[in-house]
Amino acid sequence: MTDLPTSPPTMPGAPHPQPAPQTAAVPPPPPSGGTVIAQGVTKAFGSLVAVSEVSFAIGPGVTALLGPNGAGKSTLLRMLCGLSVPTTGSLTVAGGNPRTNAESRRQIGLVPQQDGIFERDSVRSFVELAATLSAVPDPVHATDVALAAVELDGPLDRPLGSFSKGMRQRAKIAAALVHDPSVLFLDEPLNGLDPKQRRSMISLFHNLGETGKTVVVSSHVLDEVERFGSNVLVIARGRLAAQGDFRAIRALMNDQPLRFRVVCEETRKVAAALVGGGLATGISIHGGTIELTTADAPLFRAQLARVCQHYNARLYELTPLDEDLESVFRYLVG
Amino acid sequence: MNSFVAIYRLVLKHQLTRARIILVGIATAVAAFVGFLFRNDFDATGSLVTFISVAGLGLIIPVISLLLGSGAMGDWYNDETLVYVWLRPVRRSIVAAAAIAAAITVAIPANLIPMVAAVIASQQTSAALWGTVLATVMVTLAYTAAFGLLGILVRKPLPFGLIYIFVWEFFISRGAPGAARLSINSYGASILSRATDVALDFAGRAEWATTAVPLGVTVIAVLLAGVRLQRMDVA
Repeated sequence: MTDLPTSPPTMPGAPHPQPAPQTAAVPPPPPSGGTVIAQGVTKAFGSLVAVSEVSFAIGPGVTALLGPNGAGKSTLLRMLCGLSVPTTGSLTVAGGNPRTNAESRRQIGLVPQQDGIFERDSVRSFVELAATLSAVPDPVHATDVALAAVELDGPLDRPLGSFSKGMRQRAKIAAALVHDPSVLFLDEPLNGLDPKQRRSMISLFHNLGETGKTVVVSSHVLDEVERFGSNVLVIARGRLAAQGDFRAIRALMNDQPLRFRVVCEETRKVAAALVGGGLATGISIHGGTIELTTADAPLFRAQLARVCQHYNARLYELTPLDEDLESVFRYLVG
Repeated sequence: MNSFVAIYRLVLKHQLTRARIILVGIATAVAAFVGFLFRNDFDATGSLVTFISVAGLGLIIPVISLLLGSGAMGDWYNDETLVYVWLRPVRRSIVAAAAIAAAITVAIPANLIPMVAAVIASQQTSAALWGTVLATVMVTLAYTAAFGLLGILVRKPLPFGLIYIFVWEFFISRGAPGAARLSINSYGASILSRATDVALDFAGRAEWATTAVPLGVTVIAVLLAGVRLQRMDVA
């Protein structure tokens, strides 16, 4: 799939209690060898730095660009497409600078995040326009192929403005695919899609990756990224917080203290036992609820039921409080 | 279908809205009514030419041209659909030329219909008709192209355009003879004045300039729009 090293995951710039995979004293070598290469890319809007010193190289296959809202993902994707100029640093996509090189842009397909679309255009003419402007030899046939790829059928001559968000999103994906680009940037492409459509689109992205295309999919939803099941670039506060195999990065997360909420009977006895057994620190009790921090989540999960059983306390709920994406980023960027 | 035609058709489709057609209909009805009132004037030609010059070339035409011109690419800029055109490997000058050409295609009839309606309703000579047509076309070309550029220079082109029309074109340039040279509608007024032999204070432009300057403004605006598209950050 990819010609780039993916393991172990790297977490440049991430303050971490464990020895950092990359040491700060030795600057990482300039990235090379990918179809998408960013080198020291920074984008500032006045005093606001949206993207800061980001360097990476991505090869063929699916790469998820992961980050919370406002992390800088869309700004980075816009620069990768040439839509915006980096304040410093350089970008190469399909062998050229997409800002100045039309051939490089010809190799790019983009699904932008914004909802804006030519509302009065029909689905078919919207996709056909993309094909025509990309100088596709047979725009009508290419449009049919792209619409079939995203499983869009039905009244395709109706104005886009009259369609659901999911239909419009698929029209945008079809327009991004219609000229058979070698690099696809998809900014939150699953927004507005129902579960069946999501499965279908994820499968499509995998297929495109397997045919040798470089597919970069941005998302702020951890579960979604997990289903892309491949490399991730983690962006937080404009910085590249981690790069590599997603599961390996999550494994690193397990080394971190995790917070849980436990709802059970006999809360005081259970809490005391958890602290006494070294399974929990930083416990607080609110009525029938315990909130605690544990340094060893797997052991805590394994022992909690036994502790409850020992005190004959019914366990109603065990909820991790730290497995949302924001918490992951809190660990990554401090 | 080449890129120029594809973009031209796209813009044309988005320019023709029901609200705009109604607006042109209202302007036509008002202009025809005013023209009808001039029919029995002692100096009907003078009254008509003054009306066309002040209300038409000075107000109706620039405002309609602003609505249509600034929307040509400005709508893409504001609703963030520019990306769908910008990312494609099409020369920026072709994008700008096609979009502005489409806006002009709509703006010329939108401006001509009310003006011609006023002339016909006033039962004036064919010289007044042809003077009005030529003046309207020239002024529409320049305004629409200039406002097409404005649409991708600023996020809210309508307030900027209206300030320009009312403050510069309507007041300052009419009050200061030197400033009139920098007013698009003074070139239209000059065409109208020359065609009808009606003296207008505002209309002292040389004959060659009455067509050359509006055409020059049109070409320069298209070229600058192409440069702006090349250099702008696209959302």
